Amino acid sequence: MPLIIKDEYPKKLFREDGKRLDGRSEKELRPIKMEVGVIQNADGSAYLEWGNNKIYAAVYGPREVHPHHLAKPDRGVLRVFYRMATFSVFDRKRPAPGRREKEISMIVADCIEPVLFLELYPGTSFEVFIEVLDADGGTRCASTTVAALALADAGIPMKSLVSAVAVGKIDGKKVVDLSGIEDKAGDADLPIAITWYNEEVSLLQFDGDMDLSEMNDFLSDAKEALESIHKTQLNVLKSKYLKLQEETKTNKEKESKKGDE
Amino acid sequence: MEENEEPVDNDFEDFEEDDASRDVVVPGEVLTEDVKNFLPGRGTILNKEKNKIISLNIGLKQIKKNYINVIPLRGFYTPRPGDKVIALVVDKNPVKYKCDINSKDFGQLKPKNTIKRGRTRGFRGGDVDREETGTERFDIGDILIVKVLSADRLNKPELTTVGKYLGKKSGGIVITIDPPKIPRVIGRNGSMIKMLKSLTGCNIFVTQNGRIWLKGEDIAHERLLIESIHKIASEAHTVGLTDRMQEFIINEKKKRGIE
Repeated sequence: MPLIIKDEYPKKLFREDGKRLDGRSEKELRPIKMEVGVIQNADGSAYLEWGNNKIYAAVYGPREVHPHHLAKPDRGVLRVFYRMATFSVFDRKRPAPGRREKEISMIVADCIEPVLFLELYPGTSFEVFIEVLDADGGTRCASTTVAALALADAGIPMKSLVSAVAVGKIDGKKVVDLSGIEDKAGDADLPIAITWYNEEVSLLQFDGDMDLSEMNDFLSDAKEALESIHKTQLNVLKSKYLKLQEETKTNKEKESKKGDE
Repeated sequence: MEENEEPVDNDFEDFEEDDASRDVVVPGEVLTEDVKNFLPGRGTILNKEKNKIISLNIGLKQIKKNYINVIPLRGFYTPRPGDKVIALVVDKNPVKYKCDINSKDFGQLKPKNTIKRGRTRGFRGGDVDREETGTERFDIGDILIVKVLSADRLNKPELTTVGKYLGKKSGGIVITIDPPKIPRVIGRNGSMIKMLKSLTGCNIFVTQNGRIWLKGEDIAHERLLIESIHKIASEAHTVGLTDRMQEFIINEKKKRGIE
């Protein structure tokens, strides 16, 4: 007889002091750490740690499309491969791409496509490989964020970056950035992605139950969170170059001071 | 071919040291909201409401007259007619050679574009050598310096080996850096490349697809040169690079005991 462990969720998702189970307040994001240029052989790459999520993204392209029948004569194609490592979740995940992976690959591609100029590269493909090493809720949002970062790092012309975050409802309260357990045990889950060029919503999925009148509140909460994520993205992209620029500047100043003395 | 001084391309107007305000910008960043006085140049776009100019690339902001440009720091090579590039022969058949030119498509080199010029095919009254077709033969794995004859979005670029400095390269080392950083390796009017040549005593051929061919008197000089080029590529966005590189090479030469 196989041992069947039933998923058990805590009855309350808020602690006695009013904070969430991981000690966050309602509108607080999990700690985010990003890095670019982590994979040497890729054209562009990025790494993201968002709470317990650990995700790598690598970009290759523009290059020839394989299989060739997927190539389009008038525009390029963006292909996203979202994969989860076998050890990324509690039960071993079977390594073959399943329904969920295919869906997330598709939505990530669809939500980044509007910011790219694919019509300038007919017959070619841009390929984004997303590897989730550790998953704890909100990987589709994290994947979108990190994929946009990797594309920008590859030097592919983009109208803007894309950021994503999930908002939702747990124990009847509106919260931002749901963790794995809140996602499963909560009432509603609403991942949102935004393209900063013209600030349009690029992804909007919904799962659970809530009142339609709450929608506006959710969107404004998400906007606030997305802005802070976008700021981190920009800083990460720039910091690599700014650091070097400042180093050389200070060196120069030192030299000129020496010369004066 | 190696003895000749390679021409310095004056086509590169990027990375000017004086007037370029060296702000690092990223995709989606607003460059200016003053659309009356400025026009979107290279690497930029107007937003839908046409009240902001935004950047498309990760690069350096540059204002030239009333145009705002973004000089990319990362990116890929797009072949343009007239470019001289280093190509690697990856496949051949009777009709064409397939060449890797570090772009999205393989370049095509047809035998008619490899005909040696200025050679007599037999002499007057004598037999024409039927074996000698006048075309050069290459093998898979050969490194060629080629010129791009035609290139556009839809068709594969066509190459030629007919011309000055073009043809097969034997010996030496080929290294690859990010194509947008090539102008920096050349420097303004070739100042950087002249400095590198004179200090390391190596022969260098820099091409626009990011590949650099080099050959020195010994491996120590070549190694120093390769390190310097990678240093230039990583510090391409900083000011006063030529002077710093000169200092670096002189110091390293002393440290390594090579002259």
